[in-house]
Amino acid sequence: MKKTNKIFMMLFLSLVLILTGCNFSSDSGSETPKNDDSEEGKKVLRLTTSSDIPTLDSTKAHDAVAFDVLYNTTEGLYRLDQENNPELALAEEHNVNDDETVHTFILKDAEWSNGEPVTAEDFEYAWKRVMAEQGAYNYMLVTAGIKNAEAIMEEEMSVDELGIKAISEKELEITLEAPTPLFVTLMSFPTFLPQKESFVEEKGDQYALNADNILANGPFKLTDWTQEQGWKFEKNENYWDKDAVNLDEISVVVIKEPSSAANLYETDKVDRVTLTTSLVDQYMDDEDFTQDKLGGTTFLRFNHNHEYLQHAEVRRAISMAINRDGLTDVILKDGSAPLYGAVAEGYYDSPEGTDYRELNGDFNKGTKDEATEVWEKAKSDIGFDELTVSINMADTEEMKKVGEYLQAELEEALPGFQLELKSVPFAQRLEIEKAIEYDISLSTWGPDYSDPMTYLDMWVDGSSANRMDYQNSKIDELVEEARTETDLSKRFELLLEIEAVLLEEDAAIAPLYQRGASVLQNPRVVDLIRHPSGADFSYKWADIK
Amino acid sequence: MIKEHKEETRQQISDDLFTPLNRDQDAERIDMSPPVSFWKEAMQRLMKNKGAVLSIIILVMLSLLALIGPSMNDHTYKAQNLAHTHLPPKIEGLEWLGFNGQDVKGNDVYEARGIEENYWFGTDEFGRDLWTRVWKGVQISLFIAVVAAALDLIIGIVYGGVSAFYGGRLDSVMQRIIEILVGIPNLIIIILFILILEPGVTSIILAMVITGWVGMARVVRGQTLKLKGQDFILAAKTLGASNTRIIFKHLLPNSMGPIIVTVMFTIPTAIFFEAFLSFIGLGLQPPLASLGVLIEDGYKTMRNFPYKLIYPAVIISLVMISFNLLADGLRDALDPKMRN
Amino acid sequence: MKKYILKRILLMIVTLFIVASITFFLMKIIPGTPYSNPEKLTEKQRIVLDAKYGFDKPLAIQYMKYLGGLLQGDLGYSFQFEGRTVISMIKDRIGPSVMIGMQAMVFGTIIGLLLGIISALRHNTVVDYVAVTIAVLGMSIPSFVFAALLQYVVGVKLQWLPVALWESYASTILPSFALSVAVIATVARFIRSEMLEVLGQEYVVTARAKGLKESTITVKHVIRNALIPVVTMLGPLAVSIITGTLVIEKIFGVPGLGEQFTLSILVLDYSVIMGITLFYSALFIFIVFIVDVLYMFLDPRIDLSKEG
Repeated sequence: MKKTNKIFMMLFLSLVLILTGCNFSSDSGSETPKNDDSEEGKKVLRLTTSSDIPTLDSTKAHDAVAFDVLYNTTEGLYRLDQENNPELALAEEHNVNDDETVHTFILKDAEWSNGEPVTAEDFEYAWKRVMAEQGAYNYMLVTAGIKNAEAIMEEEMSVDELGIKAISEKELEITLEAPTPLFVTLMSFPTFLPQKESFVEEKGDQYALNADNILANGPFKLTDWTQEQGWKFEKNENYWDKDAVNLDEISVVVIKEPSSAANLYETDKVDRVTLTTSLVDQYMDDEDFTQDKLGGTTFLRFNHNHEYLQHAEVRRAISMAINRDGLTDVILKDGSAPLYGAVAEGYYDSPEGTDYRELNGDFNKGTKDEATEVWEKAKSDIGFDELTVSINMADTEEMKKVGEYLQAELEEALPGFQLELKSVPFAQRLEIEKAIEYDISLSTWGPDYSDPMTYLDMWVDGSSANRMDYQNSKIDELVEEARTETDLSKRFELLLEIEAVLLEEDAAIAPLYQRGASVLQNPRVVDLIRHPSGADFSYKWADIK
Repeated sequence: MIKEHKEETRQQISDDLFTPLNRDQDAERIDMSPPVSFWKEAMQRLMKNKGAVLSIIILVMLSLLALIGPSMNDHTYKAQNLAHTHLPPKIEGLEWLGFNGQDVKGNDVYEARGIEENYWFGTDEFGRDLWTRVWKGVQISLFIAVVAAALDLIIGIVYGGVSAFYGGRLDSVMQRIIEILVGIPNLIIIILFILILEPGVTSIILAMVITGWVGMARVVRGQTLKLKGQDFILAAKTLGASNTRIIFKHLLPNSMGPIIVTVMFTIPTAIFFEAFLSFIGLGLQPPLASLGVLIEDGYKTMRNFPYKLIYPAVIISLVMISFNLLADGLRDALDPKMRN
Repeated sequence: MKKYILKRILLMIVTLFIVASITFFLMKIIPGTPYSNPEKLTEKQRIVLDAKYGFDKPLAIQYMKYLGGLLQGDLGYSFQFEGRTVISMIKDRIGPSVMIGMQAMVFGTIIGLLLGIISALRHNTVVDYVAVTIAVLGMSIPSFVFAALLQYVVGVKLQWLPVALWESYASTILPSFALSVAVIATVARFIRSEMLEVLGQEYVVTARAKGLKESTITVKHVIRNALIPVVTMLGPLAVSIITGTLVIEKIFGVPGLGEQFTLSILVLDYSVIMGITLFYSALFIFIVFIVDVLYMFLDPRIDLSKEG
C-alpha cells in the first residue's frame, strides 16, 4: 500500500511540474478578452491568424503576419490611407529636386516607445541594415531605385555607399539612380521602416524575438507575444496621430485549423476569421459573412521550351478552354474572381481614374467552341494529334481542387489533350518551377507594391520570377522604359502595352483567377482597412461601434 | 511483440549424437503426412466464432463491391458535372434510411434543382458520383494495404527465417539491425520518405514497407526458433531431410498461425496509416481517392455535407473491425491452447 | 545485468546516430529550400544564404559539422523562425504536448483496462463484441474526425469547454480526450488478449480446482498476471500519442511539438525537422529501454541478458 502511495505522490508531483511548464496564455494574463464587458469602455479587437510571426526584424521580415504587426506598430515615411493611396506619415515634408533623383524628407517630432526621438539616422541605419543583412526584400530597394542598391546587392560596392543619408536629426536625403515613379508608392512597404540603432545593437541576436525587444513608434505597440499562441497590441499614447486611433487593444490568437477558427467565431471568442473554401458553404448565408477581393493572382505558367507549348496558339487554346466562372463560383466560392489579365482588378487606377483591367479588357476569353477551333487549327498547323502534358502544382486543398477542375475542363474542350496532375509540397512546386522542369505549372503571385508593374516586370528576360524561359524583347524594352518614365499617363500607357504583348500577342501565361477572401466579421467592427500589397491590414482607423 | 519468450533450446542435444540416415532412402516421408488435421480443426473452430464468420462475410462483400461498385452506374470516379454539385444521397425506396436527397436543412435538393437522376451516395463539389468514388477508394485502400502487407510478409519471412535458421553470428548481426530499426519511430521515417518520393500509391506502399517488415521478421524468427528445437524437426533432420525441405515442409506450415494473425493486423494498420498520411497532406495524386482522402475531404465540410464523411467513415470502420475480429478469431482458432 | 544495460545504452547511441544520419541525408535529398519567402527568393539571395549556412560546402563537410554540433548538444537554428535555436523551440513546445499526452495516457489506460477486462471475462458474448467494436472504432475512425466532432458538440453546441486555444487548464481537456481514444483502443485490445491467455493457464485451472471463488481468481490471478505485460505497451502507446499530437494539436490550437513538426515539414525547416525527429527517436528509444528494464523486475521469468 505504501508503495502505491509513493507512486501516486510521484505521479501527482510530475503532473504539477508539467502544468507549470505548459505556459497557458492566461498565466501571462492574455486570455482572450470578451467584448461585452464594456465596463471600462475599452475597445478591444480580437483577431485570428493562421501562422506565427517568423521574425519582427523589419529588415528581414517577409511574410504577411509580420508585416501586419510591423506596419501597425511602426511608422515609416509614408502610410497607405483608407483608399490605398500613399500619404505622408512620419515625414512632415517631402521635397524633390528638379531631375527627381534627390528626395529630401523632414521628419515630424515623434518618439519611440522607449522615449527616444525618431531621427533620420534611424532610417539610414535600417535601410543599410537591409542590405548588410541580405534581408529577404533587399531587392525592394533596387525597385525603388535607391542609388547603388543594385551594386551592393551584387556585392560590388560596400553598404556605406547606399544612397541614403541623414543630413541632420530631422532631415533625410535619399538619392536615386534615376527618376523612379514608384518611389512614393514603395515607401509604405515594411522593409523601409526605421530602426533605432542603439536599441538594436543592445539587444543583439535577441532583437525582435519577443515583445520587450522591439520598439514602436506607430499607432499601436506590441505588449505581449507568446510564440505559437498569439500577441497583443495596446494603443500607443506617444503616437503623433493618436487621436485618429480608436481601439484600445488588439489581441491576435494563432489558430491554424480553419474550422476551429470558425468555431471560435461562433462562440464569440474572436471578431473576425477567414474561411476556407470548404467552410464557405456552411456560412454563406450568415449575416456576418463578407467577401474581399485580394491582390494575389493564380495563373498557369507554360514551359516555353516545350515542343508544343512553345507555340502561342496552343497556349491560347488552353487558356480559352477554361471556364473561369465555374472555377470561382462553383469550385472555389471563396470570393475569388475570374481573371483574364496578368494584373489584378480593382486596385490600380490610371492617372485619369480608370481601372487598369477596365482599360485593357479581357484577353483570350472565349467559348469552349472557340477554344476547340483554335486548338484544332494549332494541331493541324504544327502537325500533332495528341498532347499529354503534366501540371506541376502545390498539394494544398485549393490547388488540388483547381488542378482537378482544369483536368476535366481541358480534356473535355480539347480533343486529344491529356493533363496529368502532379501535386507536390509547395516548396517542391517552386523548386520544379525555378528549374523549369515542368510542362505547365499552377502558380500564384502576390503583388509587392501597389502598382501594375509588380505583375509585369517579372516577365522580362532573365528575371528570377520568369521561371518559364519566356522572352520577348518588346516586353524588355517596354519595362525598361516604364521604369523611368515620369509622365504618369504615358507610363500607364506603357504598362497597358506590356500586358497586351504578354497575353494578346504571346498568350505567354493563362491567368485563372484573382484570389479572394471569405470572412466572418463582427458587424460592430468598422474601418478595418485591407491593403492589396505589403501589410494586409491597417488597424489605425478601426473601431468597434 | 516484445514478449516472445525464449523457451527455445531447453534440452541441448547436439547434432553429433545422431548420424543421418542415407538420404536416398526417403525414410523421412513415410509417416510425416501433412498436418491437415490441424488446419481442418482450426477451420472448424473459426467457423464456430460468430464474430469471425461475420467479418469474413463483410470483408467478402466489401471486396466484391470494391470491384464491381465503380461500374454499377455510368459515372467514372473522375467525371465532373458542375450542374450536379453537392447533391445529397438519394435512393428510390430507401428514403426512410436517410437516402432522401435532403440537405442538412431538410430541403429536397433534387427537387429544387430539378435533377432527375439519383445519386446513391450523393455527389461532391465537382459533381462527381460519390458511390463510384467511395468504392474506387475502397479498392485503392485495400490494394495499398494488401500489397504492403504482402511485401512485409515476404521480407519478414526471408529475413526472420534466415536469421533464426542459421543462427550464430549471422543471427546476432541481423538482430542488432532489427533492434536499431525498431528504435526509429516509423511514422517519422514514413513521412520523410513520402517527402522525397513522388506522391502516389507506390510511394505510400514503399514508405510503409520500409519500416513495416520488422514486426513480421521478429514474429517469424521467434516462431522458427521455437520450432527449431522441437523434437519433430530433430526427427526430420535425423531422417535426412534437406534444409529446404525442413523450412518449407515443417517450419513454415507450423509457424503459419502467428504469421497469418500478424498479417491480419498489418492490413488495417496500413489502411489507417494511409488515411493519416492523407490528413497531413501526404497522400495520393488527385483525382484518385482512397478512403483516407475521401474522409479527409468529408471532414472539412462535415457540418454541411455530412454524407461526404459518413459513407467512407462507416466503410473504413467496417473494414478495420472486420479485419481485427477476423484476426482475433484466427488467433484463437490457431492457438492449440484454446482447444477446449 | 550491468552488462546488459551497458549494451543497451551502446545500442541506443548507435540507433540515434543512425537516425541522425538518415534524417540528415533525407533532408539533403528533398528538393526545395528552407529559406523564408521562397516564392520571391532570387538566385543571388539563395547563393548568399547558402554560403551563410555553409550549404555550398561538400556534403561530407556539412555532415561532419552537423555531427560535431550534435555531440555538443547543438541542433542549430530554425530557418523559419530566424534567431531561434531548435533546442529552445523544443523546450517551449514540449510542455503542452507532454501535458495532453500524459492526461490522455492516464485516462486512456484506465478506460482501456476496464473495457479489456470486461470483454475478456465475457469472452465471445455480445458484451465482448461491443467492447471490441468500441476499441476498434477508436482505432479506425481517424482521430481528426473524432476531435472535430468533440469540438463542435462540447465546445460550440454545449459550450462546456473551450473550443480551442491554450488558455487555461480547461483547454487541455478536449485535446487530451481526443488523444486518448487511440490509447483506449490499444490498451483494451491488448489487455483482452493477455487476459484470455492467462485464463487458459494451468494455475488458473488449478485455482478453480481448489474451489476458489471466481471473483477471487479473477482479481488475484488473472488480472494481476495480465497487468504485468501492459508495461510493454508503453512503447507503442508513446508512438500512438506522438502520432496523435501531429493532428490533434493543430485542431485545438495547442502550441505543442507535434504541431510544430507538421509545420516544419510543410516549410522544409531542415534543422527543426531533424531536431524534432531526433528528439522523438530518443524519447521512443528511452521509453523502450525503461520498459524492458521494468519488465525484467516485474516478471522474473524473463532474463533479458540472454536475448539473441
